[in-house]
Amino acid sequence: MNSLMIDKKPLLKVTELKQHFTLKREVVFQAKQVVKAVDGISFELFPGETLSIVGESGCGKSTTGRSILRLDEPTGGDVLFKDESLTKMSKKELRRVRGDIQVIFQDPYASLNPRRTIRQMLDEAMAIQKVLPPNEREARMLELMKHVGLRPEYLERYPHEFSGGQRQRIGIARALAVNPEIIICDEAVSALDVSIRAQILNLLKKLQKDLNLTFLFISHDLSVVRHISDRVMVMYLGKIVEIADKSSLFNNPLHPYTKALLSAIPVTDQTKREDRIILKGDVPSPLNPPVGCRFNTRCPFATDLCRKEEPKLRELESNHSVACHYAEELSS
Amino acid sequence: MSNDVVLEVKNLKTHFISSKGIAKAVDGVDFVLRKGETLGIVGESGCGKSMTSLSILRLIPSPPGKIVDGEVLLNGKNLVTMPNAELRKIRGNRISMIFQEPMTSLNPVIPVGEQIAEALRLHQGLSKKAAWAKSVEMIGLVGIPSPEKRAKQEPFQLSGGMRQRVMIAMALACTPEVLIADEPTTALDVTIQAQILEIMKDLQRKIGMGIIFITHDLGVVAEMCDQVAVMYAGQIVEHQNTAELFKNPLHPYTQGLIGSLPKLYEDQDELQIIEGTVPSPYDYPEGCRFAERCPFARSICSEKQPDLIQYDEESKVRCWKYTNEWQVSLTKELVTT
Repeated sequence: MNSLMIDKKPLLKVTELKQHFTLKREVVFQAKQVVKAVDGISFELFPGETLSIVGESGCGKSTTGRSILRLDEPTGGDVLFKDESLTKMSKKELRRVRGDIQVIFQDPYASLNPRRTIRQMLDEAMAIQKVLPPNEREARMLELMKHVGLRPEYLERYPHEFSGGQRQRIGIARALAVNPEIIICDEAVSALDVSIRAQILNLLKKLQKDLNLTFLFISHDLSVVRHISDRVMVMYLGKIVEIADKSSLFNNPLHPYTKALLSAIPVTDQTKREDRIILKGDVPSPLNPPVGCRFNTRCPFATDLCRKEEPKLRELESNHSVACHYAEELSS
Repeated sequence: MSNDVVLEVKNLKTHFISSKGIAKAVDGVDFVLRKGETLGIVGESGCGKSMTSLSILRLIPSPPGKIVDGEVLLNGKNLVTMPNAELRKIRGNRISMIFQEPMTSLNPVIPVGEQIAEALRLHQGLSKKAAWAKSVEMIGLVGIPSPEKRAKQEPFQLSGGMRQRVMIAMALACTPEVLIADEPTTALDVTIQAQILEIMKDLQRKIGMGIIFITHDLGVVAEMCDQVAVMYAGQIVEHQNTAELFKNPLHPYTQGLIGSLPKLYEDQDELQIIEGTVPSPYDYPEGCRFAERCPFARSICSEKQPDLIQYDEESKVRCWKYTNEWQVSLTKELVTT
């Protein structure tokens, strides 16, 4: 959303965020092994938009979400939420901010306490974040249930009594209970069947409009991303390779990896199918990422330059940045 | 044409009997698979697609599962009633299977080449040396670089995509007539999935086996399959050739499924949805199992169960809309209102 970006300040500003995990030594005197799960990424999230992070397993998309909230302590960089640095905050201050930034995970069953009813869960969330006095919570709960399309009598039930789609609705209701501004959806619809997934996607879109929410939507599924996003960011081995407006990214991908990723999606309409670019080999281990451009081992266009020098993320067109030495040549 | 049929499933019923009652996981499934053809079985969780595939080789956990009715004919021979010893000669030899998670199907402490060679020695009676050579050849055939080296490695040393390639190599080592692939690429990333699908197609051209491809991903179906059977609540509700299915889906459930996919090439404000949820396998409704969620449902739909009828030469559908009774019920409803 271009208009959004011009006249609004970013709600969340991530600069040079790094998340390195040091592995335990398996052998005495073994050299330290470091997994660079997220390796210096910067982006901004604007109010009211949906920014998606896509990429394959191990690209660092989920780690990015977790680092922002300091669910894993980031090892470098900074995250500003409304000009306040989350990384420098005390634990207590952070807890307050976590009410403004909520997360929905892939497996709602794993994130719901099996021994609490829905009422107890929603009540607890509101109590911890002190959003409403106890006597006003009942009305709010009924409103939340209505928002997410669950019957009010379900408040008395336990998580195991619900289906997967309903559990995801509960996860959403709980996230909404504390009036957040940002919701990080980490593979929130990946475990759901297509017909249920469609219900949840519609719900998320509607809630965004009604409640003016901002989404950071983490997913591996490009067709879902295309449906829900305003902007899309593609990650590969801990780096951003491309970030752009949705239509610009899907209609005119600039990075060879994005092109391959888009062409690899199986589509139901065979007439729309473009020539598939089949990448050779697997994603290299993040323990030992390739020198230079991290995609060079699988890139069909890689040259010596790519094997030596790491390309910087640069804005090639308006609101369309890419990290590739040869983006201009490849796009023409 | 009928000579080409390698596998025929007739009225297959697999039920699970427990204290909760009888779950009719597979409830009267019919299909045929021809040589060199890929049949897709699609549906959402719990529709019985995996149970159908497991029932073919009698791999369902029993008890509580039991094949209560039906036949599975491999070139005319019924696998359901076959003695176990004889069936063992078919499993992994004439019909083989690959699953979603290769790590659970591979032995973690035996080199992968050894595991493939074992199947060859057992089923084809090859010598140790010949089996190993063939095993290395198969690993090369599925596109794993330096097969000699990889054959000596254990499963944990391979990536997910490579493990799935090993599974395919193992499944195809004995040149089976039928390959059952149960969500073989679901756990893989899209770029790796594209590689694996390409290899499966390529090997099918070389070996000529029939493939039963079980998946929930309609995009994969569109690329891989010649024929598609859509399952809902233990039954096939529609069976068409692939191109036709996506162009002209007959059953309201199939229409709903296709409609609920986000489109990759166009913008939509809202996705089409199917209201409600799947009925419990312990307690299927009397009439059409989809009636409760169906936008077209009439009184007849909740009264009587529709049969899987021939719609045209190549397509079958299980829906009252395509029968004479539908017209009758329509006029009846008009009269009463």
